[in-house]
Amino acid sequence: MSHAPEILAPNFSMAELLVHALVVELEAVQSYKDLAAQMEQCGNKEVAELFQKMAVLEAEHAEKIREKSGDIELPELAPWEYRWPGVESPETIDLAGIHYLMTPHQALTLALENEKNAKEFFEDAAKGATDARVRDLASEFAEDERQHVAWMEDWLANYSEPDAGWDDDPDPPAAID
Amino acid sequence: MIARAPCKLKSSDYKSDTKPVWCPGCGDYHVLLSLTKAVATLGLRPEEIAVISGIGCSSRIPAYLNCYGFHGIHGRALPLATGVKVARPELTVICAGGDGDGFSIGGNHLLHACRRNIDITYVVMDNEVYGMTKGQPSPTTAPDWESKIAPGGTGISPFYPLVIALASGANFVARAFSGDPNGTARTLVEAIKHPGFSFVQILSPCVTFRPDQREWKKQVHPAPVTPTADASKAARRVMTDDGFNIGVLYKGSREPYRQTVGHDIRFERNIDEEFLI
Repeated sequence: MSHAPEILAPNFSMAELLVHALVVELEAVQSYKDLAAQMEQCGNKEVAELFQKMAVLEAEHAEKIREKSGDIELPELAPWEYRWPGVESPETIDLAGIHYLMTPHQALTLALENEKNAKEFFEDAAKGATDARVRDLASEFAEDERQHVAWMEDWLANYSEPDAGWDDDPDPPAAID
Repeated sequence: MIARAPCKLKSSDYKSDTKPVWCPGCGDYHVLLSLTKAVATLGLRPEEIAVISGIGCSSRIPAYLNCYGFHGIHGRALPLATGVKVARPELTVICAGGDGDGFSIGGNHLLHACRRNIDITYVVMDNEVYGMTKGQPSPTTAPDWESKIAPGGTGISPFYPLVIALASGANFVARAFSGDPNGTARTLVEAIKHPGFSFVQILSPCVTFRPDQREWKKQVHPAPVTPTADASKAARRVMTDDGFNIGVLYKGSREPYRQTVGHDIRFERNIDEEFLI
């Protein structure tokens, strides 16, 4: 949506950075699990498995952030109180890009885009931090996301781009043209 | 009243184990997410919430939640929700459905639910089509939208649900977009908290029968004005907007419906006796 608040380089406290980082990952886990279930339901097992693997990857990252949080009390924020660069967290899946016949290439392209968004979010957080510890941790999270980007790119290289007509369905749900 | 500790559930805690069967990419997934975020933000316990629906794709939503729910009959979600709220006023009652269920089959109920101003929140996931029955035009479909079922389009002007709600007496009127789950959650929180009948139209794309609606995310924009308490002003605004203004349009101060007749146990006993076998 075009009304994303323009927030550049937020200056987070340690607790704020951690809660934002945790929510990025937890929302991604939920989102990938939901997508895996949707694809499973439609018989698109290959993409369902990919989304399931991504959910596992994000869950591992969430666990790492939880460990980093230790005893720090994380603030309770309403969904709209988070300071994302857009209206949603950087790894929120754009449902407009989802299709029941989507190919692994398309699924991984979406995931890659999300990882890039997360990387940029943490880079911005590092830039905006006035507290050196926050800056270091944000940089570490950005590095983790860079790693994810690299994995996604390697993964994506295994799949060719979809052919024209990838969404042809001999028995389409639509009764309309 | 027993004092209760604040409820600290996560939004995912409000989801049931039943997996949605909506088409992948359907906007209703995000409406479900927004609704769970809203009730989690409000700290409501699942047993304090009842979600009532009619028939249609979006009306499946009670099954995907772990609060009280009732998947009713076509177009009758609002009378059912009214009954639940009157019988159990302590519950937060949310009525949900689509544009066909709410504006066509249930259209007359919408008028009277607004008029009665009972403290419920009505969420309509509007995709301008009957998705469950394979893509017939609905009351909010543009007159020139062509399909095999409506070649050349219906040629019939669409229904303006927000204007109808305002004219009928709804106490809170808003439009949201499913592609903005956090913004929609905020609107739902406001709607649930606002006393009386709250009406929220959520533009929720049907990616199967209206793939053109994937473009909605580029078309929606925040309403350039703040909510008003003047219904006629709100109606003028919505009649002249482009249909993609997102935000709270109207917040009224009309007193919600309250039972004026006391709870009479003798009346209930008489009914019980009458139906005794």
